[in-house]
Amino acid sequence: MPAKFVHKKTPKIGVLGAISRNASALVLGLKYFFEPNRFTLMYPREYIVLDKRYRGFIVLNKNKCIGCESCARVCPTGAMKMIKIEVPDPKNPGKKKIAKYPTINHQRCVYCGFCVDICPTEALYHVPVHDVVYFNLADMIQDLESFQKEPVSPAAAEGAIPVKYVFDPERGLVKVRVKEGEKK
Amino acid sequence: MAYLSVWTLTERVISIVFWGIVKLIFWPPIYQFVIIPGLAAAMVVVISIIWFERKAAARVQMRYGPWEVSPRLAGYLQLFADLIRYSFQEIIIPRTVDLMPFLTSPLFALLLSILPLAVIPVSPVKWTWPLTPSAMRYSVLIAAALTTLSPIFIVAMGWASNNRFATIGSMRETFLITAYELSAVIGLFSVVATVHSFDFTKVVAFQGGGKWLGLINPLALLATFIATLISTSAFPFEISDAENEIVAGPFTEYSGLMYGINMGSAYIKRWAMSILIALAFLGGWRPYIPPPNAGYVTGYLIPSLIVTAKAVIVMALMSFLRAVYGRYRIDQALHVSWKYVFALAIAGFGLAILEGYIL
Amino acid sequence: MQAGEVPKINMSSWEVGESRYLPGMEIKRLGKERFVVYIGPQHPGSGHMRIIIKVDGDVIVEADPDLGYVHRTMEKLSEGRAFIKIIPLVERMAILDACNVTLPYVEAVEKLLGLEPPERAKYLRVALCEINRIASHLYGFGIFGVFLGHSTMYMWGFGDREVLVELAEKLTGARLTHTYPIFGGVRRDAPQNFTDNLRKAIRYLRKRLDEYRKIFLDNPVIRRRLEGVGIVPKKVAVDLGLVGPNLRASGVEYDVRAIEPYEAYDELDFEIPVFEEGDSLARAWVRVEEIKQSLRILEQIADKLDKTKGQQIMHDRFWAKAPPLYKKVFEAEGRVKLMPLFAILRVPKGRSFARTEAARGEITYYVESDGKDKPYRVRIVSPSFRNAIMFKYVIPGHRIADLPAIYGSFDYFPPEADR
Ligand code: SF4
Ligand code: SF4
Repeated sequence: MPAKFVHKKTPKIGVLGAISRNASALVLGLKYFFEPNRFTLMYPREYIVLDKRYRGFIVLNKNKCIGCESCARVCPTGAMKMIKIEVPDPKNPGKKKIAKYPTINHQRCVYCGFCVDICPTEALYHVPVHDVVYFNLADMIQDLESFQKEPVSPAAAEGAIPVKYVFDPERGLVKVRVKEGEKK
Repeated sequence: MAYLSVWTLTERVISIVFWGIVKLIFWPPIYQFVIIPGLAAAMVVVISIIWFERKAAARVQMRYGPWEVSPRLAGYLQLFADLIRYSFQEIIIPRTVDLMPFLTSPLFALLLSILPLAVIPVSPVKWTWPLTPSAMRYSVLIAAALTTLSPIFIVAMGWASNNRFATIGSMRETFLITAYELSAVIGLFSVVATVHSFDFTKVVAFQGGGKWLGLINPLALLATFIATLISTSAFPFEISDAENEIVAGPFTEYSGLMYGINMGSAYIKRWAMSILIALAFLGGWRPYIPPPNAGYVTGYLIPSLIVTAKAVIVMALMSFLRAVYGRYRIDQALHVSWKYVFALAIAGFGLAILEGYIL
Repeated sequence: MQAGEVPKINMSSWEVGESRYLPGMEIKRLGKERFVVYIGPQHPGSGHMRIIIKVDGDVIVEADPDLGYVHRTMEKLSEGRAFIKIIPLVERMAILDACNVTLPYVEAVEKLLGLEPPERAKYLRVALCEINRIASHLYGFGIFGVFLGHSTMYMWGFGDREVLVELAEKLTGARLTHTYPIFGGVRRDAPQNFTDNLRKAIRYLRKRLDEYRKIFLDNPVIRRRLEGVGIVPKKVAVDLGLVGPNLRASGVEYDVRAIEPYEAYDELDFEIPVFEEGDSLARAWVRVEEIKQSLRILEQIADKLDKTKGQQIMHDRFWAKAPPLYKKVFEAEGRVKLMPLFAILRVPKGRSFARTEAARGEITYYVESDGKDKPYRVRIVSPSFRNAIMFKYVIPGHRIADLPAIYGSFDYFPPEADR
């Protein structure tokens, strides 16, 4: 059943209406003045424990990577680049072979997650962290070593309180503290 | 003289100096213009009110407002931080401004908005009056006249800035002055009609026993209240410096401390008007009555604090409106002020005459 | 004056010689009492654009919108990249409305590929579209509020938008740039308690809409600012080619969801509000009523999602041959892994056209492929671009103070117009 068009008119208010509308606006303001409803996250005193589904920073699991280049090919911003390194060849002991691995440039990445989704071996994965800070632009270009390290949220590392938001039909979002055990 | 030991001499000197300072402080012109309710109190009150305004708006608006600077004081020190920042910011003076008016009008506007406080009584005790008792008979008149001076300099600021937004802003201000001044003065003078005196002390004395003029003549109070909102560009009448329309209106070209002064002088004017409202409509220092032959504290400090407290409540109310209202358009504000506020003021005045006849 | 000749500008007065310049840079003789005021691009009430107005006293006699400050050459950039990479690119035209503005592109390419997404994928797309629509309208209200000096509406709009952003994050994994619809389906399945959360959010927003009405729309001050301001009569609205809520506020029945239902919209029961007045107030009301209808849609979608739980959300072409690992990941995390062929997807030769109703109006895409892995041409007509013309015709005759009231009521979004 396709949608119907319904013609409406903006409600009119008279002089008496204006007085009562003034009053109800003021009353509503006062209501929230006495019972504020705030969602504010007191970062960096608190931080959000993100879902596992969150598309946060991307980390490489080198052991799973087969060097197929799909991730670099699908990356819309050119953030993911393949590099070639020499590794010991398992087939010919003592010999070296060229292997390809991806590296990421966080200056360019937009966290679209295409690379993670396209990787045939699940070698790339998101970590639920989004507040890593770099002190200079060069640090944002990861090499193979740093690409394999899971970044930690600086707020979490400094002992901020973990919180998360739950939906509430009365108050919209309610901030609740996450206990140590249920983080993962 | 020989028996006067060194000790008692120092004691005397100290006591002379101490009492001298106390006398100086409580010398009415100094006390009222500089301390309470003048500059010092105005400073503290304005800072606290701006803090309150931001916190109150934040509570309504699902946020915390100033907090991070001093979490224990709920962000109160943020305002001092802002003040310091304003004081150290570079003052940029564009080449195209008219220098003298550009530099002097903010100061005049500030000084003149606080001047009404130097002519009003804050205590019934005679020696505390800043004017001679014979001049005091006209204190309502003088105070009302002085409140009308500062807007001229806001217009001058806009004109001297030589900026289009500033020009538009000062034109708006000009329109508004004509619109609110009359209602404010008539609203204020309605107390004169009831009390049959231009003397603030008589006006306050009349309001003894809970017979507040604001209660028996709410129309005049409302008219004065709204006129004050318009005159100090408080919401919903923040028109002459409406940010989204004309940047900062007359203050567009000001920066650093000069801008701070401009922001402050609107609040200080609001403060002066609140004090007048507290005296004229909210019973002034009543219900407190100073004992006979009262000293500095009982005769001057306590009544002035009572007036201050009432004025702070008035000001807090004005500030809270920010959280509820948007702003009117200039022609609508003129419409409101001529058609409704002016009528309200006249009705209040009529009511006041009637009450003056009955009471 | 000859072309290329430098005009003599008399700096001591505003009167300058006649000359022809590029649009937006023209210098014309002004009347004696006239004044040119540049609203923007660095003005607290302009956004990423400039409106050059000429005023006579307080009344605007001429308005000249000057767009293009955030032009990012999206159409040209699209010609150089693979089909899938264009999704995150065009999404950036209106990140708060990401699903609505990328969906027609995805649909256009799907038409070329000859795909029809599975049923559940359609519901998920609609869910995100409506979440985006509400969030975008709330954002619009916030900006509208601050333009009128109503800071509470500003903060409330942005604060409550957080609820929807949070919902979108739970669904897609990203707060704003979801990159959610993809050729053949969507990228993530709804998480376990998504529909419960959705229902809670709907209840909360219904309650809040009442409060918005109390503090903003019915607030006498705001009403006076909006009533009768910026009237666009029905005929003018059609002639100027306005779209979206702005068109419907002028009494025109036009909504892509109704006249050419896409995705699952023809299965849903909802109304499309049309207002007659055509003034700023009507444009504000249209959005409120639309939010109400979107909530209604979301309620139905929640039921449908519960009903189709566990179904496939990717077209068989990209899913039937997926390796077991892919299916395992989908079952465990609800994440659709993409086949490697997505990166080099060749789209058959052809032209296609698709449109959807984004929050600000109809957005159309024309995609032409010459059989390679990159499109030959992508043409985007965004709703804000179509609405921008009204600045020239609606603003003159109003006061300077009405400019924000009109600007805000049109919910004009410069990045979307400039592309
Ligand atoms: S998340 Fe997107 S932008 Fe970032 S590296 Fe992966 S594919 Fe590239
Ligand atoms: S797609 Fe996965 S397996 Fe292929 S190169 Fe990238 S990380 Fe390695």
